[in-house]
Amino acid sequence: MTNRDHDLHLLTGAYALDALDGDERALFERHLARCASCQEEVRGLCETAARLAMGTAIQPPPAMRQRVLAAAARTRQLPPEGRVLPLLNANQTVWRRLTRPLTMAAVTAVAAVIVVLLVFQVSTWNQLRATQARGQAVAAVLSAPDARIQAGRTSVGGTVTAVVSASRHEAVVTTAGLPALSGNRVYQLWVITQAGARSAGLLPGAPTSVLADGVSSAAKLGITVEPAGGTARPTTTPIIVLPAQA
Amino acid sequence: MNGPTADQQPQPGPGHTEGGGQDLAGLLARVARGDHAAFEAVYDQIAGQVYGIVRKVLRDPAQSEEVAQEVMLEIWQAASRYDPDRGGAAAWAMTIAHRRTVDRVRAETAATERVRKLAPGPVTGDDVAELVETALDRQRVRRCMGALTALQAEAVKLAYYGGYTYPQVAELLGIALGTVKTRIRDGLIRMRDCMGVAS
Repeated sequence: MTNRDHDLHLLTGAYALDALDGDERALFERHLARCASCQEEVRGLCETAARLAMGTAIQPPPAMRQRVLAAAARTRQLPPEGRVLPLLNANQTVWRRLTRPLTMAAVTAVAAVIVVLLVFQVSTWNQLRATQARGQAVAAVLSAPDARIQAGRTSVGGTVTAVVSASRHEAVVTTAGLPALSGNRVYQLWVITQAGARSAGLLPGAPTSVLADGVSSAAKLGITVEPAGGTARPTTTPIIVLPAQA
Repeated sequence: MNGPTADQQPQPGPGHTEGGGQDLAGLLARVARGDHAAFEAVYDQIAGQVYGIVRKVLRDPAQSEEVAQEVMLEIWQAASRYDPDRGGAAAWAMTIAHRRTVDRVRAETAATERVRKLAPGPVTGDDVAELVETALDRQRVRRCMGALTALQAEAVKLAYYGGYTYPQVAELLGIALGTVKTRIRDGLIRMRDCMGVAS
């Protein structure tokens, strides 16, 4: 564990209390995505933080109930996603801020448009563009002047697309059409270098993406099927290996 | 939330929050499939908690209602993304509620460049009717808060109920950034162990 990682690990408490500002939150979430022990701790501390809220319950204004139920009746729901990336929260925050001055009707319309876009996304590039809002970190990779796209089919079907920025040593990895796994198996992303394979996090279902760092130009990106929760080292043959640089 | 009260005997361990959480998880699964009746039941179960924490942090009743509505609508929209393996249903809802609330606080602070002057503390006001079932939860929180050092408790409360970032907490308490980071983490870990949250 490097000093920087150690410092980041100390932020688990502040993160659980939502006491990080946007930039630091994004930084921590990137660390979180590849730190199994942090995930464990954050889960428990978030649960604890939630208990702090439970002692504060008060009667909401009676009219609120009808307003919420009416709004729900005209609001389309989000499709299941398997596992929500922490990065997505940043996205929702940005989205909410953008839409805050709008009326509820406009928000509903925007939500409907987003759902339609998600359903009808036809090209991988569009998918990658959509991930831009997911956080400055992701956007920085996608908009890096030296961003290059690597793509391929996996041995089990479906495609994997990586946008790699050599100067940032980062990659944004998106999957499409990977077969669904049973509840106790997950897809795990690895950054493979001469030093070995390092986990870059678990891959939720499409159309979300994962940000991998430490991607040198000589590195490769690999995906394996692992037990739920992921593993420290790959235990199965990769279903795909993509070079960071063609 | 001002320290422990020795005269009260709260029930530690699984209380109604966990029991309710079970039920709530089942309801959320139905909500995810578009079941409006289930959403009404979810509303009745958690709207008080959602509104309570939003109001505790934001204070302003009109703003609190607005944010609480947004949170309830987000719960409707995102019900399919609740994963029981990753924690309790009530905790999931509270996490959304608190996150959206501090988002609002930060947006306002950024917009106005003004630091909120009021020190955090319990919401008071004649229009605030506390829910009966809240008492047990509050007792437990208070008892466990009492297990923290004064500095830990203060830092946790300023961050969570005050909606401050930890650098702001450091400034308010006049202590170093690194210190506040560790105090918050240590305090929360102690709370976790005291409240019997599985880690």
